[in-house]
Amino acid sequence: MADNAVNVTLTIDGVPVTVPKGTLLVEAAKTVKQEIPVYCYHPKLGPAGLCRVCLVDIEGMPKLQIACNTPAADGMVVHTRNDKVDAGRAMILELLLVNHPLDCPICDKGGECDLQDYAMAYGRGSSDLVDPKTRKPKGVDLGPTIVLDEERCVVCQRCVRFDDIIADERQLVLKDRGVRDIIATSTGDPYRHNFTGNVTELCPVGALTSKTYRFKSRPWDLQRTQTTCTQCAVGCQMFSDVRYGVPLRTMSVEHDAISDGWLCDRGRYNIGFYDSAERIVQPLYRRNGTFVQIGWDDAFTLWGKALREALRARGPEAVGAIGGGRLTNEEAYLLQHLTRAVGSANLDWRAGLARQATPGAKGGTLAALDRAQAIVTIGEPLRERAPVLWLRILKAVRRGARLIAAATPAEAAAQCAGLAPIALVWDGVDPALGAAYDGAFAGFAEVATFIASEQGNARGAEAMGMLPAFGPGYAAVAPGRGTRAMLEDARAGRLRVLSILGANPAAYAPNAAAEALDALEFTVVSELFMTETAARATLVLPARGPLEKSGTTLNLTGDLLPLHASLQAPEGTLADLEMLIGLAQQLDVELPSAEDLERAVIAHAAKLPTGFGLGDARFDDGPSVAPPPHVHRTIFDGAGTAAHDPRLTSLRALEVGV
Amino acid sequence: MPVTKVLTDGIGEVDLRDLAVYRARGGYRQWERAVRELQPADVLAAAETSGLRGRGGAGFPTGRKWSFLPTDKHVRYLVCNCDEAEPGTFKDHMLLEEAPHLVLEGILLGAYGIACHHAFIYIRGEFKRGYEIFVRALEEARQAGLVGSNVFGSGFDIEVTAHRGAGAYICGEETGLLNSLEGKRGEPRLKPPFPAIEGLYGAPTVVNNVETLAYLVPILEKGANWFASVGTERSKGYKIVSVSGHVQKPGNYEIALGTTVREIIEIAGGLRPGRRLMAVQPGGGSSACIFEEHLDLPYDYESMAKAGSMLGSGAFVVFDDTTDFVAAAYNMVRFFAHESCGQCTPCREGGHWIETVLARLVRGEGIEGDDAMMLRVAGTITGLNLCALGDSIEPFLKSVLVRFPDAFKARIPSAAPASAVAS
Ligand SMILES: Cc1cc2nc3c(=O)[nH]c(=O)nc-3n(C[C@H](O)[C@H](O)[C@H](O)COP(=O)(O)O)c2cc1C
Ligand code: SF4
Ligand code: SF4
Ligand code: SF4
Ligand code: FES
Repeated sequence: MADNAVNVTLTIDGVPVTVPKGTLLVEAAKTVKQEIPVYCYHPKLGPAGLCRVCLVDIEGMPKLQIACNTPAADGMVVHTRNDKVDAGRAMILELLLVNHPLDCPICDKGGECDLQDYAMAYGRGSSDLVDPKTRKPKGVDLGPTIVLDEERCVVCQRCVRFDDIIADERQLVLKDRGVRDIIATSTGDPYRHNFTGNVTELCPVGALTSKTYRFKSRPWDLQRTQTTCTQCAVGCQMFSDVRYGVPLRTMSVEHDAISDGWLCDRGRYNIGFYDSAERIVQPLYRRNGTFVQIGWDDAFTLWGKALREALRARGPEAVGAIGGGRLTNEEAYLLQHLTRAVGSANLDWRAGLARQATPGAKGGTLAALDRAQAIVTIGEPLRERAPVLWLRILKAVRRGARLIAAATPAEAAAQCAGLAPIALVWDGVDPALGAAYDGAFAGFAEVATFIASEQGNARGAEAMGMLPAFGPGYAAVAPGRGTRAMLEDARAGRLRVLSILGANPAAYAPNAAAEALDALEFTVVSELFMTETAARATLVLPARGPLEKSGTTLNLTGDLLPLHASLQAPEGTLADLEMLIGLAQQLDVELPSAEDLERAVIAHAAKLPTGFGLGDARFDDGPSVAPPPHVHRTIFDGAGTAAHDPRLTSLRALEVGV
Repeated sequence: MPVTKVLTDGIGEVDLRDLAVYRARGGYRQWERAVRELQPADVLAAAETSGLRGRGGAGFPTGRKWSFLPTDKHVRYLVCNCDEAEPGTFKDHMLLEEAPHLVLEGILLGAYGIACHHAFIYIRGEFKRGYEIFVRALEEARQAGLVGSNVFGSGFDIEVTAHRGAGAYICGEETGLLNSLEGKRGEPRLKPPFPAIEGLYGAPTVVNNVETLAYLVPILEKGANWFASVGTERSKGYKIVSVSGHVQKPGNYEIALGTTVREIIEIAGGLRPGRRLMAVQPGGGSSACIFEEHLDLPYDYESMAKAGSMLGSGAFVVFDDTTDFVAAAYNMVRFFAHESCGQCTPCREGGHWIETVLARLVRGEGIEGDDAMMLRVAGTITGLNLCALGDSIEPFLKSVLVRFPDAFKARIPSAAPASAVAS
């Protein structure tokens, strides 16, 4: 009996199908590879029953039924194609085209449009319409990211439902009624939140388009590469679509385990900086206070010489390295390898407010988050910090999990009494707070912990050993100096040469860091733009961005994710990996072979760190520097490039007083 | 069969809006008896035995509808549908304005019958006067202890909330109504789930028409069998018919179901002298026309269905030989296209398309094939829509287009003179 309750067997187009009870016909048909066209249905949004294109014929039912809202039942005999279905479907398509502008030749969606595809597959090929079509607004500026063509809209309300169900924003609504209905924001204010770009992918037609991509290309002219977004620690899987070397758009990948098929606007739209004219494309050396362009050979010689001299004259304590959170695992591993090879333990990935990126023994997986009964957030809002993780949390809340943001750890623990499993999501900034939550939840049976770092590969950097107190794989080592201590040492004249790869400590504690950097003998900075830190360097090395290189990253839940280069980097730039190889030659340090490096990365990434929890003292590297008087909110606003910080390039950093 | 007076008893004679007047005539005695002496199951049984069917349009047996409520869920709602916007229907707002206490007592009995403690009445936005009258009556009843907690010391609590709509026909459709009541866009919900399982605020909900609920008062007073003894085999009791169009005395007439179509026309004063009957639309704008040959049919749910139409909400529109059926069809389709919520494809696009063609015909700019095209589109979309509004586009249009094809052909410029005369 239990078995009967779990599965049902039906026939779809003559093929017997057994599916779990409750499966919608539209999903059941997929198991026998029968296409049922849909506009309003979407697996993540559920049925809406609006478009009526998914009609099927079920024996014994007089009327055609919609496959998107009909659960499979035992003994059901379903036809996805017969004369009756075809006539109904053809009528729906004919009707959808009655007031459709058919401006395919200038529509961004042309070539990947469900209306084109289904009209070709199921349409009549002609229409009896002789009267004029309705006219509606075109090119409506919905907000900073999206332009809407009302005439192309098929009113599937996927965008409206995304805003409601998935993003919990409820900005988009269907206004007016009948054939006059239009998509708009409920208040008339600009459509603006962290996830707007997703509606352009959900829109089955060319009604919702991205400002950044409008009229730029045809889908068949794009070269598609799957890669990982590195703009925060979630590590969303995405496609990079490139034409003639220009990154035109990014699109989400149906990857339920990591990103659930979504991208945030930061990850999606922050690609405008790659071909910015302000990029550094040649090594720069400070001579008499001003930068002069030099060649790579000279750059390596100068870097090597500075390090060798400092090592000889002052010993390994006089040199250090910062970086890793914005590098690949391979680069982070080599950076720590080189630094440790010359005898220094002064290394750290941390450049900003974050103190810890690896949760330790109780570190949770995304699957664990999906099971949590209570989710406790600690610190900065996750909507900004780890946007797509926030969507996953909202999803958990929809299935009944409690979302808790309490004033104190004790209060949070009280609210979680009796609930299991529990997820703690900390921003990794204040160790005392992290430790307090760890303590407050020590008595709970099932607790999974998460740290939402602001840097994409923060956890990877830690796993690769870019921490003063931990070697690769979190091996305990005799501690060196971390970023804060190094900056202090620099001010005190103890540290002489600092190599900063893909990090911008001067952005966070401008005065203190500037003073420290100025006191150094030799500062090397690898960067794409002239950041606050690069501006104080002795030697600036032009680096490559994440779409321009291959490698791996480790996201906040410890998933090892691939980075595949999709862009040709500007001539004159090098990936940090190549810079480190060049430096190794200068220092006569032997590097692991490519195969050994890959093996090491995989092995260290897979290590489950034990022996520490949230806010562990071994991550401590000195008192917190006063944070800048604002937090960066990274809602994409389509305005030009903000130039210097790739993290924020093309984003407006809203300065919100704290 | 003559006009009867059950719900309409006293209307136009005394001021039933006055609580004292209503009570003096036996008002609220059934309510008192129900909470003091009867179990909810007794009220449900009365509704079932009486054979009462929904007077809002679909004619669904009221007792059966109530019995669909899950027994294990204790929060449940009753919603009285007073959105009355079906073309030709004007009975509910008469009851609301003339007999608000009867409407309220019906709601209270319905609420008790399904054992719910919070009932709503959704009143069409345009019925401002009716709304005010009803709210006044509700306040009076509250003051008198008829509504609120522990009514008549029975321990039964009941709250009633009156809500005004914002002017959309689609909010009369029960799930559109529930959305609107919840403050959402007035668009019908996808079914299943049906309101009995998941209705207002996700709780099991019964939606009943004003007239349906009002009949509970006489049913309890005179007995379910009294009601069931009137009418035809499966259409029991009385019905208020809103007669309009080409009759001499249009108005609301309460009749026993089964009264013939011809009798109803006569009750409403008959046709104007010298005029010939062309068609009757017997069940509101959503129904197909019936014709001369149907005049002696009993006016009940089954006979109207058998004649290819429906009894619907009891809006009875008479068309004589002065009617321009192209204009009438245009008017009807234009109404549905205008009131379509626009969420589903067939209704939104199909309704508008047919409206556009009919507008052109009205202007005398028809082209060969318009009629076939309209029949094809209207016919195909029927049954494909999300709610019944979309299925309302075809019936009237098809019935008159098939019956009076020449009237439509006459709007094609080249063919105009000859066929216009022929009809
Ligand atoms: C477009 C549309 C409009 C409707 N308008 C009304 C209305 O104004 N009043 C009403 O009682 N029922 C209306 N109905 C019927 C309701 O959906 C529902 O069936 C009825 O309120 C149930 O009450 P009853 O069972 O007492 O008839 C409408 C249905 C549709 C499809
Ligand atoms: S804009 Fe696109 S997604 Fe939104 S309702 Fe229209 S067609 Fe659907
Ligand atoms: S959530 Fe993070 S990883 Fe995902 S798209 Fe946004 S920035 Fe990229
Ligand atoms: S049939 Fe018409 S009124 Fe009903 S849901 Fe569809 S569009 Fe709205
Ligand atoms: S996909 Fe089923 S109605 Fe739209």
